[in-house]
Formats: sequence, C-alpha cells, structure tokens
Amino acid sequence: MTESQLQKLLGSTAPDPGCEGSGEFMDEYCELVCSGEPLPDRFAAFLTHMANCVACREDTESLLALLLEQEKTNTG
Amino acid sequence: MNTLAIDQESAEWLRDLQGNGAAREHATARLHALLIRVARGEASRRRSTLPGRAIEDVDDLCVQAASDALMAVLAKLGTYRGAARFTTWACKFAIFETSTRLRRHAWRQRKVELDDTIWDRLPDAAPPVLQRLENDQLIVALHRAVRDHLTERQRFIFQSVTMDDVPIDVLAERLGTSRGAIYKTLHDARAKLRRVLIEAGHGEPVS
Repeated sequence: MTESQLQKLLGSTAPDPGCEGSGEFMDEYCELVCSGEPLPDRFAAFLTHMANCVACREDTESLLALLLEQEKTNTG
Repeated sequence: MNTLAIDQESAEWLRDLQGNGAAREHATARLHALLIRVARGEASRRRSTLPGRAIEDVDDLCVQAASDALMAVLAKLGTYRGAARFTTWACKFAIFETSTRLRRHAWRQRKVELDDTIWDRLPDAAPPVLQRLENDQLIVALHRAVRDHLTERQRFIFQSVTMDDVPIDVLAERLGTSRGAIYKTLHDARAKLRRVLIEAGHGEPVS
C-alpha cells in the first residue's frame, strides 16, 4: 500500500473543519491563489479538508478554473 | 455580520439585490444568467465523467442547479462578508449545486453496496519484499479494524468513499442526508481506525 493509498483511506490527522466550514473559505482561497498572494496561516485547516475530501477539492478546483478563465478573458 | 471592505462592484450587487422594484428584478435576472453560464461551464468541464446516456439531460440539470444556486445566494445574502468578490462568492453556490447533481446523475444507474472483495485488490502489484510484508500486515490490521470497530453505517461509508470511489454526494442522496453529514461520519471512522491501528502497534499511519 503506497503512502497516497493510505492517505486516501485514513485521511490526515490535522484539524479539519468539514465540508460546510471549508465552504466558507473556498471563494477567498481561490481569489488569493489567482492573485498569487501567499496564503495566510488560517487556511491550514481548509487545506487539510481539501486533502481529505474529494468533492470539496473538485469544487474548489472548478471555482479556481472559472476564475482563471475569467482572468484570461479579461486580460486577453 | 463581520463585513470586510467590499469592492464597488460587489457593493452594487448587494445594494441592488437587497433593494426593491426594477433594480432588484434586473440584478436577479443578471445573477441568474451568470449562474447558468457557470453551471454550463462546470458541466462542460465534467463531461468526460458522465456516461453517454446521461449527457442529453445535462442542460436541464444545469438550469435546475442555477435556479437552486440563485435561491441559496438570495437566502444567504446577509452572510456575505466581502472576503471575496460577490460574483466569486455566488459562483461557489452554482458550482456546488451543479457538481453535486452531475455526480449523482453519473451514478444514477449504478448500485452502491458493500463489497468486501475490494480488500483483495488493495496491495501494490509489486512492492519490495519487506514493504510487501509490512503492507500485508497493515492491510490485515486495517481490515480487522474496519470489521470490528466501525458501525455498519461507518463501514459502508468508509469503504464506499475511500475504496470504491463512490462520490460523497451520491452517498448523501442514497442515505437521505447531506455531504457534510457523510463527511463527518467518514472523518469519525478514519479517526477511530487510526487510533485502533496505533494501539495495534502500527505507529502513526498517516501524518
């Protein structure tokens, strides 16, 4: 069993705010990533949840892709 | 409400949507149109995850998702703090509603059931001998922990999500609950398994 398989099975032990708690941060996180600004420490638990929850991670990736596409359209 | 400094465009959205009359109607229609575009974009991104037979219903599904997202945004306007632009905040709802529907749609014809043969497929194909031995012991311990220490519901959710790759939104629909509630059960199950594995001498399996 690889480390990533084990991670997928057991997740991370770090504090995890769950789906609803992480959803509060998703929009702010995506804008920060788009702007290239460093992430404040308060996003640590959000990132743990992203590692632990496939659905929330995919939704965040979708929002990020949307913002990057909008940015490309606006600058292009 | 802890409101941050809101940019001008977001403030205008808020003012119009919280107002009355024609300005509110116009803003609501603009927001709905935006959410439909986002829903269709999300469906387009996820097209490859959908079985062929499911594709023809996708546009209806996007319109429903955008309508539900609009309702959610309007209901939660008072909670908008301005941490991100208003449109980014609103698009989050459209993505959630659309992705949830698409995951469920893709699994519509598929059964979700407990399959214990999945444990036989866990080991690596060809790890080094020592690692294989450790792996085998860990898998046996994990299988035992799942069988002996999880409730039936925890076992079903744990195996479905982490081993069978059943989307959490599909399980939420089948079990009549929310994504958050399924995740909480999964989180508790994982914590219990980690504790049991440590007690059984397997160290800290994942940091």
